[in-house]
Amino acid sequence: MKKISKLFSSIGNYFKNFGVSLAKGDIWVKSSLVVMGAGYFARKQIINGIIMLLVEAAFIFMCIFYAAPNLAKFGTLGTVQFEQTFDPLTMTSTVNDYDNSFLILLNSIVALFIMLVFLFVYIQNIKSVYKLQQKKEEGIHINNFREDVRAMFNDRFHITLMTLPAIGVVLMNILPILVLIAVAFTNYDQAHMPPNSLFTWVGIRNFKNLFTNSVTVTFGYAFGKILVWTLIWAVLATFTTFLGGILLAKIINNKRTKLPKMWRTLFIIAIAVPQFVTLLLVRNFFADSGIVNTICSNVGITDFLKNIGLVSPNLTYIPFLTNPNWAKVMIVLINIWVGVPYQMLIATGVLMNIPEDQIECAKIDGANNFQIFWKITMPYIMFIQGPALITDFVKNINNFNVIYLLTQDVFVTSDQLLANSNAKEVDLLVTWLFRLTNEYYNYKMASVIGICVFIICAAFTLITFTRMIKGDREEVFQ
Amino acid sequence: MKKSKKLLATLLAATMCAGSLFGCGSGDDTTTEGASGENTSSESTGDDASTGGDATSTNPEAVQNLIASTTGTVTLTVWASEEDQTLTQQLIDLFEAQYPDITFDITLGAQSESTAKDTILVDVEAAADVFAFADDQINELVAAGALQPVSATYTYDVANENVAGSIEAATVNDTLYAYPMTADNGYFMFYDASVFTEEDVQSLESMIEAAQAANKKIAMDISDGWYIYAFFQGAGLELTLNDDGLTNTCTWNAAGGTDVAQAILDLCATGVLVDMGDEDMATAIAEGTVAACVNGTWRAADAEAAWGDNYAACKLPTFNAGGTDYQMSSYSGYKLVGVNPHSDYVGWSMLLAEYLTNYDSQVLRYEQRGLGPANIEAAESDAVQADPAIAALAEQAAYATPQRVGANFWTPAETLGQILASGNPDGTDLQTLLDTAVEGITAPVEE
Amino acid sequence: MKKTVNSVLRHVVLLILAVIWLIPIVWLVATSFSGYRGINIAHFFPQSWSFSNYSALFLEPDSVVQYVAWFKNTLIIAIFTCIISTLFTLMVAYTMSCMRFKGRKFIMSFSIILNMFPGVLSMIAVYFILKSLGLTNSHLGMIIVYSAGSGLGFLIAKGFMDTIPVSLREAARLEGASEAKIFWKVVLPLSKPIIVYTIISSFLIPWGDFVLAKLMLNSGISSDWTVAIGLYNMLDKSLINKYFSIFCAGGVIVSIPISILFVIMQKFYVEGVTGGSVKG
Repeated sequence: MKKISKLFSSIGNYFKNFGVSLAKGDIWVKSSLVVMGAGYFARKQIINGIIMLLVEAAFIFMCIFYAAPNLAKFGTLGTVQFEQTFDPLTMTSTVNDYDNSFLILLNSIVALFIMLVFLFVYIQNIKSVYKLQQKKEEGIHINNFREDVRAMFNDRFHITLMTLPAIGVVLMNILPILVLIAVAFTNYDQAHMPPNSLFTWVGIRNFKNLFTNSVTVTFGYAFGKILVWTLIWAVLATFTTFLGGILLAKIINNKRTKLPKMWRTLFIIAIAVPQFVTLLLVRNFFADSGIVNTICSNVGITDFLKNIGLVSPNLTYIPFLTNPNWAKVMIVLINIWVGVPYQMLIATGVLMNIPEDQIECAKIDGANNFQIFWKITMPYIMFIQGPALITDFVKNINNFNVIYLLTQDVFVTSDQLLANSNAKEVDLLVTWLFRLTNEYYNYKMASVIGICVFIICAAFTLITFTRMIKGDREEVFQ
Repeated sequence: MKKSKKLLATLLAATMCAGSLFGCGSGDDTTTEGASGENTSSESTGDDASTGGDATSTNPEAVQNLIASTTGTVTLTVWASEEDQTLTQQLIDLFEAQYPDITFDITLGAQSESTAKDTILVDVEAAADVFAFADDQINELVAAGALQPVSATYTYDVANENVAGSIEAATVNDTLYAYPMTADNGYFMFYDASVFTEEDVQSLESMIEAAQAANKKIAMDISDGWYIYAFFQGAGLELTLNDDGLTNTCTWNAAGGTDVAQAILDLCATGVLVDMGDEDMATAIAEGTVAACVNGTWRAADAEAAWGDNYAACKLPTFNAGGTDYQMSSYSGYKLVGVNPHSDYVGWSMLLAEYLTNYDSQVLRYEQRGLGPANIEAAESDAVQADPAIAALAEQAAYATPQRVGANFWTPAETLGQILASGNPDGTDLQTLLDTAVEGITAPVEE
Repeated sequence: MKKTVNSVLRHVVLLILAVIWLIPIVWLVATSFSGYRGINIAHFFPQSWSFSNYSALFLEPDSVVQYVAWFKNTLIIAIFTCIISTLFTLMVAYTMSCMRFKGRKFIMSFSIILNMFPGVLSMIAVYFILKSLGLTNSHLGMIIVYSAGSGLGFLIAKGFMDTIPVSLREAARLEGASEAKIFWKVVLPLSKPIIVYTIISSFLIPWGDFVLAKLMLNSGISSDWTVAIGLYNMLDKSLINKYFSIFCAGGVIVSIPISILFVIMQKFYVEGVTGGSVKG
């Protein structure tokens, strides 16, 4: 609560300062409202003034030629349907000046974003011009342009450093996410695909559909089921690889183990092959008529599993990746195969730094290896690796590669209700969503699910990292 | 908060430059779209001619007009399947040679016909100008505006020189949308003649007996909507596409539906008819475990290699459901060539599409790739007639229907097949099973 | 006695585990030397051995196999991605670790959350943004896709820089060094492990991604592809039976440089990743 009120008061201050600047500013500050560079010209900061003028000009240009035409259609997302006429005599076709809903949406969001940034710059401009005025009145030295530039590599070096990465993030992360959020409130799907057709706003209807279990729309059912499996999977995948990595590191790093480097390298080779290669390979390895099945049936494992009821009697193979339960187990096992070497590497580093004295003390007190492991080693590792564990958990929620590469084109669901929503038992929310967009062009529902996934992940991350960042750990160790 | 915002300002300026780029970019797009890059002579906008639908007369004058009005390089992209690259390149070269006055820059890309729509629908504007695709995708492509209607032909009479089925497959709502290229994309039965007699292959039941005796299996991809359709359609139950071009009408759960489902269950329960994916079939044939397959020409080649002289093909057999013998139906399949209406050179694209599908090209395609022609004359040649796979397809054609299905069919049908092929492990009431499947198949696309 | 049993047992367990971990890799290598093009389901080791898959890969390019072109494309993309990503990551890491300014913590939490957002979700929007800029089907576009958001992945590098004693920076400042100079001359030289780690891990991204690449490089012209799309494409239903062993050969070839980098990185990975947290 305190945090929120702090946030609001800082926002309040921000605008208050703006008001104060404006009220107390002289004619130059006030004229900066219209001509952005004015305040700088008055304080002889000619180059700054020109830059601000150019920014203003560019913004006005952008508004007229880019923002206005797009934002004008933002409310409807376009009304002119694509039409084409072909003239068989000249063999040419003419296309009308049609609206492309997606481009309107995208461009409008970009335009709105630029406007927001401009507003921020605009307000800052007034404030800094006012500060210049104050400095002048108080007779403090005003930087010339060269000094300003130099400051960019000193006090304000962070701005210099952050500019390019920030532009990149805006372009590749923030704008796409904003578009995704907007699409969740439209009817953008296969029946409404630009450029040939238009789509439009539908309010929160898609969200309602997600949580209703009406007869035909089984999205709610599928969503619930997939969410549960996603969470189970994330927990299993995270903990199995984590514990596996620690155990493997313990075994390899044990003083009595010969050639620890060789062992480590052997395991690393397994992950050095790109993941998509190994996963596609393993998928064929365990295919219904794959090599493993041939061997198993030759050796008699298939019959044995049939006898104990793990494989249904009318199958001639073990459905490693085709039966929902088998597939889930296999996916977790294969993920162990993929993930443990990574965790082993990290655990190796952590174990090397474990405080020896504690272990020695415990040994003197007569603790056995097992007790030492659970009472000293594990708590230490958990302390160090706790945050990383949560990151892994979130990453596993979105572990697209493992699930997609192992089950795509291979796994056929036997749950009809899931099938009716184009979902499968082994799907994670991301893979389901990927198929919805990639194969069924159901962009609106994919966006809705995307938002849900994001909220889940953001919540987990926020809880851990605010704690991590808040505790002033980072400063202590510098 | 010092007066430090200059850099932010430059940042912003940069963002805005990028922004104005966006603006110009999209503006340009629409204008080139409008002018269609196809030069000036479009003042004679013959309205009546363009609405003429199937103006099938060949028109050499128009081609002359087009040549006259073309200046500069004609840049086109063509997509053909990986296997067809060499042949297509050869045809493109021949096409270019036909118009020596025009500078062409034709790029050939690889895109398998079966998945063409996956790439095209993501961004129609970025798709190739001329592309090959399997006829099952035509509805979705038409709905997405990815196909230029064949409103006029110039070098040969597309609608009358190709077999009627292929024209039907390329037609949506009475408009012809594509150029038939091959007529062999459907499925049929091919078998090892040392295991089955010609008598055996008349019905699935007798085939199963024969296979059982020889300890072999019969493979069919039952857990796939494309194949399981053969049973239900064969028994007279319907699956059709609605007028909206996206949703389905399905009567698989009507009277007799449970008999068909029970029949599939029983057939699979013998352990002889096995549910097997296409890729697995290739290996299973090579291994010798499978002696008969329901599949298409693409897999028949593997069988021919494995079985040699014993390789034989025929129409699909009958199957018994509820005491009645039904002839299995199938989807007839055609490969078509389409023209992208967003092409900058629609005219040239249409000419190229015609060229890729004319008589000579189809003959060449058969000779080099063994693909069954859709062209009537080409299909009647002795060589084609002697091909067992193509003969089998022709035989099956009487019971085949063109594929007209909305996207919601596939997953529910696949799951239905999976459940039946695995012996209905949950013991769900068959009627309920079918009801749920039909519910999914007929589900509306838009709430 | 008990100790030797223990030791033997330990090595036996390790051996079994190593075998399990290596079986698929052995199969990959074995199949890549197979004389048969499809998947061999009956025998673990091929019955006939040959180099034909490798020669197909390098000497007989067709529309499905353009390995040399793919390798070149991927290498170019990877090199530039690596340069940009490393710079971005280090720049942000330094800012977050060594500088203090208003809104820093907010930006940090915000970026961490943003970084959790899976790329596949917003792919289609990314595609159309790049298309508006005319950058689809180009190396530049791919480089932007892989590197533009890399600033968000600063956390590990920041953790490492946090361990560099603040006194070093203060000393430099007293000598009149500017912040930029401290970044270049003081902090970067001390961050070698994390720089190597960042370089290698960003270099590896283009080699493993096929989803984004497949969407962005949609011209259908196979010589424009990256290794990942090319190899993925070989397992398409219609191609797998002719190209599976070539796929394996391609997998082996692409793994060799990556394995070497990985073994090098291993050391820095351990130092870099755990460096920050361990000392903390």
